[in-house]
Amino acid sequence: MTWKTFFDFSTMAHRHLVFVYVGVWALQGGYLAWTAWNWRKIRSPRS
Amino acid sequence: MARSPVLRSTAWLWLLATVGVLAVGFRQAIFVAPTEATMGNLQRIFYYHVPHAILGLVFPYINLVASLGFLYWRRRDPLKALTADALAVASAEVTVLYVGICLGSGMLWGKPAWGIWWAWDPRLTTALILWLIYVSYLLLRRFSPAGQIGVLAAVLAVFAAIDVPIVYMSIRWWRTQHPAPVFGGGPDSGIDPAMMPAFLWNLAGWAMWGIFLIAFRFALERRRQIAEQDAALQAIEASLETPQ
Repeated sequence: MTWKTFFDFSTMAHRHLVFVYVGVWALQGGYLAWTAWNWRKIRSPRS
Repeated sequence: MARSPVLRSTAWLWLLATVGVLAVGFRQAIFVAPTEATMGNLQRIFYYHVPHAILGLVFPYINLVASLGFLYWRRRDPLKALTADALAVASAEVTVLYVGICLGSGMLWGKPAWGIWWAWDPRLTTALILWLIYVSYLLLRRFSPAGQIGVLAAVLAVFAAIDVPIVYMSIRWWRTQHPAPVFGGGPDSGIDPAMMPAFLWNLAGWAMWGIFLIAFRFALERRRQIAEQDAALQAIEASLETPQ
C-alpha cells in the first residue's frame, strides 16, 4: 500500500480504513490533550 | 519536589519512545504488511482494532487491583486509599477509551465486511456491556454524593471486572459472528508470519501509550486531590483564625 492508495476513498472499505486510523489518533490525542489541559488548569498547590 | 524533574524527563522520554514505536507500527501496518487474500486492505484495521481490544481487557485489572486496594486501605491508611482511588479512576477512563475504540473500529470493519454495523452476538454484546459498565462507573463517580464516591465506585469496579473473562471467552464458549480467536484458538488459528511485526509493533505502541495515559491521568488526579486537601486545610485554618 502507498500513501496514495491509503487515501483512496473510492470504496467503503478504503474509506473505513482511513476513518479507523484517523479516528484512533484523534480520540487518543484528544484524551491526551484534555488531560494536559486539566494538568495546566490545576496548578500544583505545593510547588 | 526534587524528584519532579526526573519524573518529567522520564515521562517525556517515554512519550517520545511511544510515538516512535507507534510510527513504526503505522508504517508496518499500512506499507509493509502484505495485503490479506480475502479481505484486502480492509484487514489492516486489525492492526489497530486487536491491540485496543487486548489492552481494553488488561486495563480493567489495574482498576480492579486499585479498587481492592482502596477498599483495604480506606480505614487503615486513608492516604494510601486516596492514591489507589486515583489509580482506579485513571485506569477506568483509559479502559473506556480503549474499549470504545475497539467497538468503533470493529463497527467500521463490520459494515464493509458483513454488510451491517452491528450484530447482537456474544462477543460484541459482552464488550458493549463492559464499556457501559465503565461509563456508568465514571458517571457514578461524577454524580455520587461526596464522601461515598470511592466506596461505591470500588464495589462497582469489582463487578465490572467479572465481565472481562466473559468477553475474552465469549468467542470460545459460543458460536459468534465475530471472527474466531486469532491467537490461542487452536491449530487453525494465527496470522501469516509476515503480518506479525505489524501486529506486535502496534500492540507494543498502544500498550506504551496506554501506560503513559494512565500514569499522566493518575498524576493529574493526585494533583487534584492534593489541591482539594489544601483548600480544605486552608478553610479550617481560616475558620480557626476568625475572632469569636
